[in-house]
Amino acid sequence: MIEFRDVSFVHQNGVRALDGVSLRVEAGEFVALVGENGAGKTTLVKHVTGLLKPVSGSVLVDGVDTREASTAQLSRKVGVAFQNPDHQLFSETVEEEMSFALRNFGFPPELVRDRVSWGLELFGLGEYRRSSPLILSGGEKKRLTLACILAWDPQVVMLDEPTVGQDAIQKEKLAGTIQMLKSAGKTVVVVSHDIEFLWPIQPRVVVMKGGRVVGDGPATAIMQDRDLLGSARVAQPQLVEFYQELHRRPGTPFVHPLDAARWAEEAMRP
Amino acid sequence: MMWLSGGFIFRRGDSFYHRLDPRAKLLNSVLMFVTTLLARSIFEMVLVIVFMVGLSAAATVLKRVARTMAFTALFSGFIFVVNVLFTRDLETSVLYAIRFIAIVVSTSIFFITTSPDELEQVMKMFRLPRDVVFAFVTAVRFIPVMMLDTIQIMDAQKSRGLELEKGNLIRRVRNMIPILIPLVVNSVVRSGELAEAMEARAYGAVPRPTSLLVYRARRADVGVVCAAVVLFAIAAYSFYFVVPVRFP
Repeated sequence: MIEFRDVSFVHQNGVRALDGVSLRVEAGEFVALVGENGAGKTTLVKHVTGLLKPVSGSVLVDGVDTREASTAQLSRKVGVAFQNPDHQLFSETVEEEMSFALRNFGFPPELVRDRVSWGLELFGLGEYRRSSPLILSGGEKKRLTLACILAWDPQVVMLDEPTVGQDAIQKEKLAGTIQMLKSAGKTVVVVSHDIEFLWPIQPRVVVMKGGRVVGDGPATAIMQDRDLLGSARVAQPQLVEFYQELHRRPGTPFVHPLDAARWAEEAMRP
Repeated sequence: MMWLSGGFIFRRGDSFYHRLDPRAKLLNSVLMFVTTLLARSIFEMVLVIVFMVGLSAAATVLKRVARTMAFTALFSGFIFVVNVLFTRDLETSVLYAIRFIAIVVSTSIFFITTSPDELEQVMKMFRLPRDVVFAFVTAVRFIPVMMLDTIQIMDAQKSRGLELEKGNLIRRVRNMIPILIPLVVNSVVRSGELAEAMEARAYGAVPRPTSLLVYRARRADVGVVCAAVVLFAIAAYSFYFVVPVRFP
């Protein structure tokens, strides 16, 4: 679905943001991009929608080279919810904000209405339908941007720091939405520093550092690699630390970090 | 945007000109500006521009100044056409067009070699009210931030299918609405937050706050000021008392 072939990118100020990145994300996969600030995660995301074009190498989305397609064409397949919702909200009402992309893509009016209603209900924003998006709280704005993306049903959903400003309940709902997207066969890519959010949903984890991919594998394997995560300034999930601490002791009952998670959940249940 | 970024935004440098006292740099730019107004022929104007180019090279900002000149040439082309249409005088039209480039370059050299902090000190020297100085300097300091915001807003809207380069002029202007509204709203919100943060750090608590930087003119500054005044006097004298050289 998405393929990076030895991609390098240098910003105008001379900073090399991507350095020979090769990565393949299959259709229906759930991938988390983690790494320190400035590791190149957002730059990688911008390459998928063609907002940035590689200096060398190539990026393919559904077989299409991003150099040969406009951002609008690629966006029909790839929906990106950027980190700062204030960078995209401008309409008079929440409803209009949600319909903006749908109208740009030429959806018929009935479908626009249906998709807007569906998105608002899914993210609990129905009551703000006729309110200005600018008066929403930070968390609500974030949910609205997500609803805006899902409204046009892209094949790939990319979320840049989706948990910023979200309370625990909203994070759980977000995790549920990601599961729903996975079940619907969507490719989901999440850029996040929120390791505790990622751990329970068990994505494939791609670790980035200095514009390079330094680690790639299932969450259970990557999250146990303390050295790898430490070098990329990523914290381990608390449950994995707990498991590793117990595992050093003889006679530990757990053979897998997920067992430790289940044990901890059961132990804490009243 | 590129014109603004290249021509008027300070970037740290280490040339002798960057290190000069900002008051000396301001005087230089003012004198260059006045000289462009005094020049009465294309030859004189070309001489002024050659001097500015030399100064830019010495200040290691020639590349940026050249880019500014190239962008400004678009506007000066417009000035040339309008002048030719209304005055029917080719030489005067060329003179005005080049003068516009020279005026922009004279101010550009000052802004790209003078940091907002130095700018603040220069404005204080003229005893401008502190609030006015602060507002101006903050506006200058926030230009790069707003440019970054604009890029990010454009990226976000393009990712929602907005095609900025498509359609006729009216459509293109309308397409700017999703860019301009978030930009203005963000700026207003940011200015409110900045005001609160400043007040939280005792802004306005005393009428005359102390200063971190105190400028004292060094020999190099005095030398440059003297050289600038002498050159200006020579230019002004020769432009007015020597017969202007005109192209045939």
